[in-house]
Amino acid sequence: MKTLSLCSRRVLGRRIGLVSVLVSSVLLAACSSGTSGPAATGGAPSGTLKFIVSSSDASDAGFRAVNAAFMKKYPKVKVEFSPIPNQNWAATNSSRLTAGNVDITLAGPKEVPSYVPASAQGDDARATDAGVYADLTHQAAMKRFSPSVLKATQYKGKQYVVPTGLSYYTGAYYNKKLFAKYGLTVPTTWDEFVKVCNTLKKNGVAPLGVGGKDSAGLVMLSAVQGLYPTAQDKEALNQGLWQKKVKLTDSKPVQVLDRVATMFGFAQRNFSGVAGSTIAAGFANGEYAMIPDGTWDTPTVTSAVGSKFDFGYFPIPTSNNAAENATVGGKVELTLAVPSSAKNKTAALAYLDFFTEPQNYAKFVELSGFASAEPGIATSALLKTLEGYTNTFSPAWDTVFIVNPKAGSAAQYPFNYGAVVPLGSSTPAQAAAQSQKDWAAGQ
Amino acid sequence: MSESYPFGRRAGLRTTFSVGMGFVIVFAIVPAVAVVVISFTDIRGLPYIPVNWVGIENYLTFFSGAKLGYNLHALWNTLVFAFSVTIFQNFIALMIAVVLSTKLRGRTFYRAVVFMPTVLGVTVIGLIWSLIFNPSAGPAATVWSWFGADSAFFGDQKIAMALVISVQVWAGLGLAVVIFLAGIQAIPEELYECASIDGASGSKKLRHITVPLLAPSFTANVLLCIVGSLQSYQLAYVLTGPNNPATQVLSLAIFTQAFGGGTSSGSVASQGYAGAISMVQFVIVGLISVAVLLYLRRQESKT
Repeated sequence: MKTLSLCSRRVLGRRIGLVSVLVSSVLLAACSSGTSGPAATGGAPSGTLKFIVSSSDASDAGFRAVNAAFMKKYPKVKVEFSPIPNQNWAATNSSRLTAGNVDITLAGPKEVPSYVPASAQGDDARATDAGVYADLTHQAAMKRFSPSVLKATQYKGKQYVVPTGLSYYTGAYYNKKLFAKYGLTVPTTWDEFVKVCNTLKKNGVAPLGVGGKDSAGLVMLSAVQGLYPTAQDKEALNQGLWQKKVKLTDSKPVQVLDRVATMFGFAQRNFSGVAGSTIAAGFANGEYAMIPDGTWDTPTVTSAVGSKFDFGYFPIPTSNNAAENATVGGKVELTLAVPSSAKNKTAALAYLDFFTEPQNYAKFVELSGFASAEPGIATSALLKTLEGYTNTFSPAWDTVFIVNPKAGSAAQYPFNYGAVVPLGSSTPAQAAAQSQKDWAAGQ
Repeated sequence: MSESYPFGRRAGLRTTFSVGMGFVIVFAIVPAVAVVVISFTDIRGLPYIPVNWVGIENYLTFFSGAKLGYNLHALWNTLVFAFSVTIFQNFIALMIAVVLSTKLRGRTFYRAVVFMPTVLGVTVIGLIWSLIFNPSAGPAATVWSWFGADSAFFGDQKIAMALVISVQVWAGLGLAVVIFLAGIQAIPEELYECASIDGASGSKKLRHITVPLLAPSFTANVLLCIVGSLQSYQLAYVLTGPNNPATQVLSLAIFTQAFGGGTSSGSVASQGYAGAISMVQFVIVGLISVAVLLYLRRQESKT
């Protein structure tokens, strides 16, 4: 039997081509951004302001409060605020930037030191070089920030981002009631810390609450902070690693993982299967006496604990020299950028100006739990207790270390805490050997 | 020739076919070719960054000393995951389909219950099972405690993969059961009647009638399952986090490489390298799928 030909190949090809073009056009039109009002670059702000950030309950609440106040002041502007879950941030940000469908986003361009190859430069830095983000250096909003914070966020001498605050995250919240019950004081050295943990353990209280599923990195960063307390110490370590003068199997880097292993030993039972989001609730229920966490979680912890007990925050002392434990590592928080492709740049710049006005920024800081990046803004009671540790800003290790994209996965941070028992199956020495091997292989 | 065409005017058919083909080209062919192309570039996670042609550098990186150990580990995990899911899912689905094809009271309800997980999204499934296997307060922990035991469940290196496989099997069971049920309903009832007259037991009927005549359903189920699970990473990601060595699979490596940049640094989102891993994965999935398809087709022709 003859095979039936529905139409000639050429005709069919033309039809498919035509339909493909039509389908693409319709879909691309549907996927592209809607109107953002007038694509204004001057005059009074109006239209829709599309604003995306990576989500966190506290900072989302802060942004929402500022957004409401902004829309009250500029009734012709509608802020379309989209907090994106962290795990989806990179994909969402990329697609929104590609579609030109965002007016304010987050960025963190960072210069790489001369001893680091250009291939290790981050995407935000490359994008900034390519003109993706608008230069905000001369915006009035910038004058409101502390010069040291602005310096920390500059890229090649220019300001492409607006800081929203500071967070510290190499310390631990502690339950003052439990500490008082067992006659404990805030430890200032590693030995004291171990003693406190042993006392709690002996009394049937898990010393530390750790979200091993996704938040154990904070334990590693705390360990690094005490052993490499200053910015210079961390920069020297970063340089030493890149220039092969420091090995991850040297005694001090291994000591970092030893400290991590010890702290894992003091964590609640089966912590490796626990998500970080549940830790504050466990702390509030008295399941553990301390939680290694960032100050960004202060509103969450405050809300969970309520009036059950008082709590405080102290730097986890991983050095046996108390002076080296007198800093708490931190970072400049969510830094806002305006894409050059923003359709409503007028509203975006107006928003940034409004956001940084002291009365609005104070509200944001209060709700977000961030420490203020502007001088003269009142900070929370808990952050006030940390002033002694934060007078000299000490950047946390993850903000100093330049990731080597060519290195193996064990050298990603590069302290290989994820391989240490029970998150992995290695001893600190074995984990260090793996990371050194992966680090060396990528150089 | 045109007289032999049985469906009247062809314009509607041609248009429908063209639209369908248009969708396939736009959403399957073009992206697939694009992935091949980007695997030879250094394209990054953000737009407008200059893209350079890097030849086979991304492939060399995949096989480099720094990455090979991780990639082989991920490949091994992928194979363990895919084959375990395929075997367990199809075996359990067949058993359930056989039971649900009998004149069981309330079988429509049971069919709905079995199919229900299929309509749930990965995030919902992840949330449900994360709560069930919460080490401190979940129902599974309570059951474990009755035997004086405890576990970190998804955080335990020894059982994390087994648990993720179990959840994947549970999630995919509904569709497999439906395909088997359709196959069973297509088997002529007379064959079973003849077998009964010959004195065949239930297990013999299953072995000599149901299973052989379900060969096309097996082919569909096994292929869908193996291709799907070779590419799956979502459940491992949601249940055990992105960095659990016990559940690292190749697709998760692709995701983290393509979209793994941090909130503010965006430091390691190399989509070119992710494209190269995708191509390696494509070859592996393709080879396994073709081999499995050939084997199953041969089995079908024997029946």
